[in-house]
Amino acid sequence: MRHNYGKIRVVLYGAGTFLVLLSLWQIAAMTSNSEIGFPTPVAVIGRFFHMLSNKVGSYTIWGHTLWSLSRVVIGYLLACVLGVVLGLTMGWFPYVKALFKPVFDLLRPIAPLAWIPLAILWFGIGEKYKYFLIFIAAFVPFTLNSYAGAVRVDRQLIGAARMLGASHSQVFFRIVVPSAVPSIFSGAQVALSNAWMTMLAAEMVRSSEGIGWLIIAGQGINDMTQMIAGMLAIGIVGFLLANGMRLLERRCLVWNNQGK
Amino acid sequence: MKKKSKLKFQIISIISLIAFFAIWQLLTDVYRVIPSTMLPSPVKVLQTIGMKWSVKKPDGSTLPQHILASLQVSGLGFCLGAVIGVPLGVIMAWWEKADLSLKPVFDFVRTIPPIAWIPIMIVLLGIGVVAKASIVFLSAFIPCVINSYTGIKATKTVHIWVAQTFGGSKTRTLFKVAIPTALPYIFTGLKVSLNSSWGALVAAEMLGSASGLGYMIQMGRLLSRADLIVVGMIVIGIIGTILSAFLDSLEKIVVKGEVR
Repeated sequence: MRHNYGKIRVVLYGAGTFLVLLSLWQIAAMTSNSEIGFPTPVAVIGRFFHMLSNKVGSYTIWGHTLWSLSRVVIGYLLACVLGVVLGLTMGWFPYVKALFKPVFDLLRPIAPLAWIPLAILWFGIGEKYKYFLIFIAAFVPFTLNSYAGAVRVDRQLIGAARMLGASHSQVFFRIVVPSAVPSIFSGAQVALSNAWMTMLAAEMVRSSEGIGWLIIAGQGINDMTQMIAGMLAIGIVGFLLANGMRLLERRCLVWNNQGK
Repeated sequence: MKKKSKLKFQIISIISLIAFFAIWQLLTDVYRVIPSTMLPSPVKVLQTIGMKWSVKKPDGSTLPQHILASLQVSGLGFCLGAVIGVPLGVIMAWWEKADLSLKPVFDFVRTIPPIAWIPIMIVLLGIGVVAKASIVFLSAFIPCVINSYTGIKATKTVHIWVAQTFGGSKTRTLFKVAIPTALPYIFTGLKVSLNSSWGALVAAEMLGSASGLGYMIQMGRLLSRADLIVVGMIVIGIIGTILSAFLDSLEKIVVKGEVR
């Protein structure tokens, strides 16, 4: 009974602030007479639903989202494979660490977005440059977290395996890799939001489709409604991605969550 | 024995770094496999750094001027983000009504990456300092709120009970118990904020600006001056590292008695 009451209160408070803020926005937009023409929330939501079935540029909002997602997925998966392999091996094999860690540490502080101009010079303005950027953005957290996971393995487990006669590589595959998985997953979460943001920047700098294009095209024709509707789409998809990842993590790491 | 193998790995690391620069130099200046319009040689990069120190060509400002412009904007945005974000997170975590009413709105806003705000800020505020500082503000604000919120929530209930038993008021308990507990989290938040705001600044400067490091590398792309781009990337990396090192040392001074 009490529990129910608490839930209702949560919904009421949340909805209340949203309503207050949205109506403030609505009133401000309706009464302002600036030349920019700031849209009302009603107009933005109306446009959003309009774009679901009508084309903007050459696609509907679904098409643009799919374009953006395809870019993120390709760069992200590439980064996942290479980053996890590099991170884990750096964490376990001292030779690999001595060889790659200095170069990795040298390149790591450069913000992914700072690669944009060089990436365009290297790969042109097509798809490859976007894959490359998203790869860089996701690669760093994947590598760092797999490395941290491999370094922080419980020494007792390793000792036990050694005593039972496991070889160096057996210890790596049977103990180091599985116990690094939770750390890798938290890296995957960071990598996903990095990749999503970098995709947006890459599309804004140069593209002819995708959600980033939708927003920047709105700026080009001074259409604030389209820009905010695009931001809404970005927010919704980003939210779904982050929560999907969390769900996957919970599924895969059932063994880790016991007792929490 | 152990010391000897450590030395061996250090030598491998140094050789790996030297090889990295040697291959870079060989590919560019010596064998000219990669044209200098795509990747300048390390020697050329050093020359450009020396040249940009005082020469305004070809992008309108010297390197120190660009650095100063970027630091000014990111400093302004970051400080605002921290000054508003940390207290907001604390308030949201400590007072239930603030939590209930503000958290849903905040959770909604944070799904939109700061980069997505750039076009709107440019339309509303132009390409001056204010627009860029607002982007930096947004990207610093979000991690600050999240981390201080988590930090306050991590306060042990037992500690709060003890404070209450000894007659501490709600505010006094906050300042004497909860905030000290939250300090390590807050500092983590500040570090994350600094990183993401420095990255967002680069994007903001690339998409709409007339000064700053992001503008410099963007101009490097338009003028096909790869050396300018690489110099900009290196400077961005170095300054990012210096800033986080600064926060690290500040953390060591401020945060006391970290429980492990």
